[in-house]
Amino acid sequence: MAEHKRITLYAAVDSPFVHRVRLALEEAKATYDIIWIDLLNKPEWYQEKVNPTGKIPVLVYGGPKLHADEEPSPEAERLTESLVILEFLVDIFPEARLLPTDPVSRARARLFYETVETVTLQPFFRFIFLDAPAETVLSALETLQAMLPPSGFVVGDWSIADAAFVAILIRLEVYLKNGLGAYRPEVGKEALEAFESPRFARLRTYLEDNKARPSMAKAFEEDAVKTKMQQRVERFRKTGIVNGFFRLPLPSTE
Amino acid sequence: MPERITLYSAKICPFAQRVEIALAEAKAQFTRYEIDLQNKPEWYAPKVNPASKVPAIAYGGPDVPPDQPSPESVKLAESLVLVEFVADLFPESGILPSDPVTRAKARFFIEGVSSKLIPAWYAYFLRNAPVEDFYSALEYIQSLLPSDGFAVGQFSIADIAIAPFIARTRVSLLNELGKYPEGNGKKVWETATTGKFARIGKYAEDLFARDSFKSTFDEAYVTQAFKQRFANLRNQ
Repeated sequence: MAEHKRITLYAAVDSPFVHRVRLALEEAKATYDIIWIDLLNKPEWYQEKVNPTGKIPVLVYGGPKLHADEEPSPEAERLTESLVILEFLVDIFPEARLLPTDPVSRARARLFYETVETVTLQPFFRFIFLDAPAETVLSALETLQAMLPPSGFVVGDWSIADAAFVAILIRLEVYLKNGLGAYRPEVGKEALEAFESPRFARLRTYLEDNKARPSMAKAFEEDAVKTKMQQRVERFRKTGIVNGFFRLPLPSTE
Repeated sequence: MPERITLYSAKICPFAQRVEIALAEAKAQFTRYEIDLQNKPEWYAPKVNPASKVPAIAYGGPDVPPDQPSPESVKLAESLVLVEFVADLFPESGILPSDPVTRAKARFFIEGVSSKLIPAWYAYFLRNAPVEDFYSALEYIQSLLPSDGFAVGQFSIADIAIAPFIARTRVSLLNELGKYPEGNGKKVWETATTGKFARIGKYAEDLFARDSFKSTFDEAYVTQAFKQRFANLRNQ
């Protein structure tokens, strides 16, 4: 059994990118510490001491036990970018088989998560905050649905490809079911109807299969996600700020 | 023992060259088939890659001519996925570092190339976006490089991801191809590889000296193909 160094994850409940990493950590039955960051009220020390870009997740590998407002030790490794971290977890937990061992299945899993990145992220973000048509997200979901096998996970057994996708997918479902987002209510309702229609039967089964896994119960707190999203939408309506990197000018009230 | 590999490629294409470099590092046996990107064969999208792009690999299946691909072979696409695929098929190639932290650094470098450098280059090349944005991206990449050697020390997938792009940036700039004002190309290449960017300059030289790069880059061909394809950018 391989010895692992300490794993510390800087996390936030509402981030799908953090969620991806937590799913993989739970699937690997890893021991890890979490330091929570409130994305709507980011402490200055985070950018000063942990990640100059301010982004999360950060996974610190090695070093002593960390607390908030502490700088990771220089001999600890700081890893960022959720997909890079997922592949790292595949490598340090080989016995967990977070990716299959055969090269073709691994390539299919990677192709899937690359497709998640390139087809869903922008439409998802734009639909939730920027009035983009629901169809842009729905057709992205259809692309990914078509890549799923008739049953089970992306490459049969659960893999990091599922982590990459389901973190986005589960949030879309929660947001639509609760009317969370800056879209007009009627747009949200139509999108929810489409999501619940036969068009996405396979996708919904896939989502339920993921929700049934213990890793999801451990790594997804629905109420906290809803609360944070509500706060984020309210802040957006008042200030035009979406996140640390994107801010819209507020429309004129005239 | 890996199964049969057929690579659908194009000499002009930097994405395709990534996979060619990986296969060369692996000393892999494979069949190469050139796709004319301006005149794609009608069987290519339906039988190999619905996105109609290169690179693509047909893996396994019966021994068929590359222009008659069999439905029995597995079809794979996306250059970075294919580079990792080659690394998985040929672990003795050494292109994937053995230590997980070093691997993560290599993949992080690749993410920087994809999300910062390539878009900044194309914005400058195709739209004459401010050159400072390109220099910022270059500065970011340079900040990731160790004081010498390759991106994570030993030659790896990180270098494979970037080399074809730096090579084509050089061809474009030295031949004044692009949307930017004529005459700026050579100056930008000079700035991008000397002085505060001397480290990039050295890194580019190291990449171009690698055997797997040399054997997969036909500079005369790429120059000619670029001139033909991009000569009119400035006029549009």
